[in-house]
Amino acid sequence: MIVLNLDESGMTRWNLMDRCCSICRHSKETPCRKYIDCRINGPLCHDEVDCREKIKFRISEVRSGRGGLKISIGMGSCGLAVGARDVYHLVLKEVEKRGLEASVIPVGCMGLCYMEPLVEIHKDGMPSAIYGRMKPESVGEILDAYLGGDVSEAFALRNRVGLAKGESEVPLLDEIDFFKYQVRWVTRNCGIVNPESVEDYIVYGGYRGLARALESKPEDVIEIIKKSGLRGRGGAGFPTWLKWNICREAKGQPKYVVCNADEGDPGAFMNRMLAEADPHRVLEGLIIAAYAIGASYGYIFVRAEKPLMADRLEKAVKDARYYGLLGHNILDSGFDFDVEVVRSAGAFVCGEETAMLAAIEGGRAMPRQRPPYPATYGLFGKPTVINNVETLAHVATIMMDGWEKFASYGTNRSKGTKVFCITGSAARTGAIEVPIGITAKDLIFKLAGGVREGRKFKAVQIGGPSGGCLPENMLDLPMDYESLTSAGAIMGSGGLIVIDDGNCIVDIARFFTSFTMAESCGKCIPCRVGSKILYDTLTRIIEGEGTENDLKILEEVGMFMKNASLCALGQTAPNPILSTLRYFRDEYEIHIKAKRCPAKVCSRLVDYIIDENICVRCGLCSKQCPVQAIAKDDKGSYKIDSSKCIRCGQCMIICSRSAIVKR
Amino acid sequence: MYTMVRISIDGIEVEVEPGSTILEAAEKLNIKIPTLCYFPGLFIEATCRVCIVELSGTGRFVPSCTFPVSDKLSIETDNAKVREARRIALETILATHKIACHSCPRKGSCKLLELCKEYRVEGIPICAECLLHGDDCLLAIGEACLGPITNAGCKGVCLRKGKICEGCRGPITSADTIREAAKLYTKYGINLDIVLNKLSIYGSSYPGYDMIVKLLLNLFEENECK
Repeated sequence: MIVLNLDESGMTRWNLMDRCCSICRHSKETPCRKYIDCRINGPLCHDEVDCREKIKFRISEVRSGRGGLKISIGMGSCGLAVGARDVYHLVLKEVEKRGLEASVIPVGCMGLCYMEPLVEIHKDGMPSAIYGRMKPESVGEILDAYLGGDVSEAFALRNRVGLAKGESEVPLLDEIDFFKYQVRWVTRNCGIVNPESVEDYIVYGGYRGLARALESKPEDVIEIIKKSGLRGRGGAGFPTWLKWNICREAKGQPKYVVCNADEGDPGAFMNRMLAEADPHRVLEGLIIAAYAIGASYGYIFVRAEKPLMADRLEKAVKDARYYGLLGHNILDSGFDFDVEVVRSAGAFVCGEETAMLAAIEGGRAMPRQRPPYPATYGLFGKPTVINNVETLAHVATIMMDGWEKFASYGTNRSKGTKVFCITGSAARTGAIEVPIGITAKDLIFKLAGGVREGRKFKAVQIGGPSGGCLPENMLDLPMDYESLTSAGAIMGSGGLIVIDDGNCIVDIARFFTSFTMAESCGKCIPCRVGSKILYDTLTRIIEGEGTENDLKILEEVGMFMKNASLCALGQTAPNPILSTLRYFRDEYEIHIKAKRCPAKVCSRLVDYIIDENICVRCGLCSKQCPVQAIAKDDKGSYKIDSSKCIRCGQCMIICSRSAIVKR
Repeated sequence: MYTMVRISIDGIEVEVEPGSTILEAAEKLNIKIPTLCYFPGLFIEATCRVCIVELSGTGRFVPSCTFPVSDKLSIETDNAKVREARRIALETILATHKIACHSCPRKGSCKLLELCKEYRVEGIPICAECLLHGDDCLLAIGEACLGPITNAGCKGVCLRKGKICEGCRGPITSADTIREAAKLYTKYGINLDIVLNKLSIYGSSYPGYDMIVKLLLNLFEENECK
């Protein structure tokens, strides 16, 4: 029989978070100091075999599933986009059909976005097998094969037991290139725990960091973060402890903490992945931050375009409040704190902290002049700490595992690990967590498997539309805050967009400029008008009307925006242009002088011609042409009149012999 | 009692109240920092970026109207880099500015024109100078003045002596301005041939001259038809 419905877990049956028996006194109103520890090692206040067994049994049930069978389906946004929901329902149906007792749980994305939908099956006595690119029709087959002791179809295994068929042919998860070089520190639970269950999080070590923090003094918590060397993961890399300390010492009550979950870069999704797969970790980090600075109220500012992330964070807040992890007198420490999840209207500029505060206050999301910094004058004019999702997840993990281990990763000035998102033309796209300081080359070629087949690597855009475009010879650069800034890129949120030789650099620069132009809030002149001037100039170059002077305009206006814009959006908006001008200037010059596009992307600078040696004179292209630019000449061969041609490319698509080529 | 903050502006040290802005501190020293959108008590949002200054040694540019002073702050208000940044700021402002000086309510007191003159930004027609001085429009008495299509910056010396503009400072290439000029010429019934004749004397040596003539002819025809 199946008894699993996630929304009701904890409602229908005894749940690890509930009281073991009537002796336990923990509730929202009468919190117990030992609550978290008691969930795992309990009961602590009395010795009762029944209770002990009950807790042990429930923990094993969470870890390895009801009846020893656990099927986890990757249901992050990436999984859902490729049909994970169908797979989930089919798995439920198949399990029911076979009369199995099993836990079927949705989990978050484990970073393997290119293999979604992922299904992991675990049965006691068998290796845990991960199946990638699951099709709904093959669910039954795979389930039968696995239960029959055959794992040869699997994409990877978590462990080996040496009993299953085909086990030796399937690689271990830690052996495949995508995972081999990773350090799963903050993403350790991604793809393992059920993000909608606080119980799962507790079993996998959750909220122990909070318990530890509440036992020590706020100053000691700041000291631990200081020792760990954690720097903000939102992009600027400001030391987290310093921000907290300034806010702690600032005058004014109440103080606020805000979690910035308004991730808007194209190509960056580590915050979404973390908050979708492990929302309690983010919440735990937020509560610890609030305790350290003495805040009494917090906000989580979530992008409304990421509804699943917002829903899961809301559920996490609700659950935490229900079990007394938020609210009045948390775990009997005398510390009061509550959180509200605010959905943004979705503007890139909200990533800028002062604009985000304005949005929370109910105003229009426009940044203001800093200083005064939010740490002294922030939300509603009170001292406010703003941390990124990833930073807070790191805070929780550091408090859980101690700072020593965290500080052992990374470089001298940038400690720890960072999640990077690789998208674009990479062979394997997804989110990966590596120690800071790894080179871009390793990231792209070792972990992500280089560029897709048949293509050549051309450049990589690091840090989204605010970052810079680096060519191949710059790839030995270590990925840390200082090195990236000196190379003209930024760490940003950590998105890497791989660009292959089929892309035109000028076109890419224009794409990013069009993004920042549209997202500019319009408050200050350099950003509002400057981005438009840059965009118009690039358009001129792409359309073949560029002059030598245009490059000067790009540099002049770009530098002006960088120097004089009010906020980081405007200051970093010209980065894609300035960095491509630095590394790919020849490509701009070919566009301007020779009026040619080397990558054959800019349609105005490309001519279509018919290769007479291949052409069989079928005349299909001539019929297809919407402007009658293709006609037969006296000798009977077809020619394209480039003065009439509108470069739509229809002839190229229709030609069965590929006789039409771009030049 | 609070302690005063000691800062240095262009090498001159001054003590100011904490919390005051760089602009206020500079006023104390009689150092003039140009402003455009700054309007005390009404609008201090630092959007125009004309008042930017450099924090010495850091290479950082900040708007002086909103940036609060802090102790030992050292500021440069008028070096080459700052002037260059201001010039581009004015250019960007002009890029989206509708230049229609004849119908502008600020025609008698155009701060933008004054700043453009100071920082040698071209793009505003000489007409603005006439309006600034309150002179009568020569077009209205049927003279073929080149004021509407010539770059300002000469203080309109000829015009103030009652002579028409001969366009020695070169024509403006912005399409909006030329459109405005064509409208004015049609309104006052000026013969376009005379205007083009005059324009060719100095204007033909400037880049974009052919384009301007073509545009003027087209616009004039359009306006005539109406």
